[in-house]
Amino acid sequence: MSALKEGDRVVRDKTTPSSRWRLSRRGFLIGMAVTGTALALGIPIGLPVARRRVAELVSGEGILPASDLNPLLWLEMLPDNRLRVFVPKAELGQGTHTGLAQLAADELEMPWERVEVLHASTAQGEDKYRGTYGSQSILGLYEPFRRAAATMREMLRAEAAVRLKQPPNRLLARNGAFEVSGDPKTRITYGELVSGKTNWRLPNKPATLKAVGAFKFIGQSVPRVDLPPKVKGEAVYGYDFRMASMLYGAVVRPPTFEAKMLSVKSGHALGMPGVVKVVVEEGFVGVVAKSRSQAAAARDSIEVQWDRGHLWQQAELERIITVGGRGALVVQSDGDAAAVLAGGPSLTAEYRVGFGAHATLEPQVAVADIKAKGGKIWTSTQWESAVAEHVAKALGVKEKHVEVIPTYVGGGFGRKADTDSVTHVAVEAALLSRAVGAPVHVGWDRREDLGHEFYRPMAHYRFSASLDDRKRIKAMVVEQATGEVLLGILPDFVGRAMGIDMGAIAGAYILYDMPNREFTQWMRKLPIPTGPWRGVGLFPSVFTMESFVDELAHAAGADPLRFRLDHLPRTGIGARLRAVLIKSAEASGWGTPLSAGRARGIACCTYAGTTVAEVGEISLSRDTGKIRLHRVVAAIDCGRAVNPDAVIAQVEGCVTMGTSAALIEEIIVKDGRVVAENFDQYPLLTMDGAPEVRTILVGRGDGRPGGVGEPPIGPVGAVIGNAFFALTGVRLRYLPMTPDRVKKALSS
Amino acid sequence: MMIRVNGKDYQVAEEPADRPLLWVLRDELGLTGTKYSCGIGVCGSCEVHIDGVATRSCITSLSGVKGKSVRTIEGLASPDGRLHPVQQAFLDEQVPQCGWCMSGQIMRAAAFLETNHHPTEDQIVSAMKDNYCRCGTYGRIKRAMARAAKEMANKRARP
Repeated sequence: MSALKEGDRVVRDKTTPSSRWRLSRRGFLIGMAVTGTALALGIPIGLPVARRRVAELVSGEGILPASDLNPLLWLEMLPDNRLRVFVPKAELGQGTHTGLAQLAADELEMPWERVEVLHASTAQGEDKYRGTYGSQSILGLYEPFRRAAATMREMLRAEAAVRLKQPPNRLLARNGAFEVSGDPKTRITYGELVSGKTNWRLPNKPATLKAVGAFKFIGQSVPRVDLPPKVKGEAVYGYDFRMASMLYGAVVRPPTFEAKMLSVKSGHALGMPGVVKVVVEEGFVGVVAKSRSQAAAARDSIEVQWDRGHLWQQAELERIITVGGRGALVVQSDGDAAAVLAGGPSLTAEYRVGFGAHATLEPQVAVADIKAKGGKIWTSTQWESAVAEHVAKALGVKEKHVEVIPTYVGGGFGRKADTDSVTHVAVEAALLSRAVGAPVHVGWDRREDLGHEFYRPMAHYRFSASLDDRKRIKAMVVEQATGEVLLGILPDFVGRAMGIDMGAIAGAYILYDMPNREFTQWMRKLPIPTGPWRGVGLFPSVFTMESFVDELAHAAGADPLRFRLDHLPRTGIGARLRAVLIKSAEASGWGTPLSAGRARGIACCTYAGTTVAEVGEISLSRDTGKIRLHRVVAAIDCGRAVNPDAVIAQVEGCVTMGTSAALIEEIIVKDGRVVAENFDQYPLLTMDGAPEVRTILVGRGDGRPGGVGEPPIGPVGAVIGNAFFALTGVRLRYLPMTPDRVKKALSS
Repeated sequence: MMIRVNGKDYQVAEEPADRPLLWVLRDELGLTGTKYSCGIGVCGSCEVHIDGVATRSCITSLSGVKGKSVRTIEGLASPDGRLHPVQQAFLDEQVPQCGWCMSGQIMRAAAFLETNHHPTEDQIVSAMKDNYCRCGTYGRIKRAMARAAKEMANKRARP
């Protein structure tokens, strides 16, 4: 099989014939609505073939094929000269609403303060996979969004030409108005142009986009539009949403992963203070009360008999997540790595990464107001179309009769892309609201949230490789066993069509150039729920891959930076990895002496059209086994940075969250449940342990933006592990690198 | 009973007197700027000022604030709408990401800077090290607090 080319994804099952598909760019349609007082343009960006969407996620191709005539994304020019933009993307703190507003303001030459971004409800446009994930918001909307805005600009220009009796090309768009070039007195605002006009025509050909040199907002660190309400405590998140006559719900949760409800004795719950109703349905028990604490107290008083099922232990789960046995899927294969390594590999190593929690600081929450035929849901979500789907199914109503109105989201990281129809908080709120005929707020507490997540799956890796006489990698085999990352949340046919978990392969794909390489995956269904966690497979897989490459560099007697540079492919991504590696090394003083007790590590990865390399500096307390990551220099090439400061903030966030996950966070299963119940038992990294992060934006890639919300979390684990090896000569092969594991590794 | 929040008196039910201040503020008074996250006083998302002292409202009972003055994020800016220097500094440094922990961070920072006018970086860290930020904005919080401290010092210096 030939080497992987960008844009190609080759998937081969050992037992089925080869299948292959190619991604391509498509045109798109523009829709129009005229109300007499406003002009609105929309872009249908919905209903792509699911597997193509998943392929985009992994390959970073930002394609958005048009196949739906109900537009999802709207630009609306109002008579008071305001541009209202409805976007199908959640503001999770990544700055997407600001970035998208920048795109529209630029093409339309709008004054910044006249642009307003709103998260569209599901009543506006259809898209089965509508949500905010995969670092795709800016990357995916960059072109279509600008195209729509430019088209609106040209329609307004044509109208201005009629009104001013001038040829269109003599008119200049400026500050929300057109004027005859050189004659500001002729100024006519967009608001005046749209007032009262109803016979708009879409242009025959797509409008020309602005030249890069003419950008006014794109590329500027425009202050985020969501921050003023956030520093004033005015931003409304799902947990904050309130309605008149709103009641509170609490739901009984199973004591173990496999628990099945046998019988329910609601006893005196209904008579307890404030209780409005006790709702018992198939496999569901909940209480509605006048206050949150009354609902919880009544819920806790209900006696439920459970069949607890098998009481899973951590060691059993480790055995399931171990490479080997049936179900091997070859994801990548060039040359004949197995044959080369049969003669005895130079190096083999096994790695393991434990379970992790998202631990969003805002727990799961939804408010439902359900009437006879359907209703409304307000919720903090990354996947509003799935919310609508599951609520409709649970209520037995049509999906179009369930409107989901997304709010600000208090932390997502993948957790709020929940599509589990049984434990979905919006389904719980909807069932309870229907039962009492009033709006119901269901907000999980921390114990419910930490114990009933879907977790970042455990993963196990076996690496083997050999070097040739010139100390270059001759062959490498990567074997990965993992719980589900994306398979569990995508429709079955996607998994069947592809056979592999596209989320889990991110980061495990062998990028480095070598004549023989093979990557095999064992997808394992776990008895505990698992799913996407910031960066999907990047966090575990880049840790292991970049640690093993570091091992190879040391085996080859080479500098880890030099060794990586020597093995980068001669492709666009290869060149962009080279650029970020060199930049992060230069800026961090790679190769220069450090004070005693300090050491550096380097690692890199690519995802969502972005390359990133990080150099970190650690120290170690040998008595306690505690590693301290002091500083990280990150170089990122995310193509065009629409808002550079927002990119920098994402790098800082990824590095900090990655440090927390790499050093201290671990979900442990005991007796069929998660041990930790709150942050006292599952602490997160705090300011005293956080590294200083310096971010360098490198170049402009291919000119388009790449994703930034996830790629920088990839290298963090390996940066720490590689620095640890440089400091101690001991390799850490288990994440998280907790003090106990560190001490054990040092003493063995 | 009456409780005083942001300079205003509110009538709330006397019983149960041990109910957490956090939920009285959020669910009874509609002051949802104060956030819930752990409920056991570990993370700091719920911090408010009680007589000027940064306090975790999730483990403070209603009876504990009788006769005291509570300030929440909604009451931190001046009555004329001018932001508190800490809020302004958090904007200037573009600190928040998701924003869920930010009311707690800002209230804690504001109380701390009232007691320490010229904090060192170490003092800032030790004042803030018990407040979680899952998005990882710690570096920016430090910068914003240093900026706010300067601004507050300038204000004090002005007649």
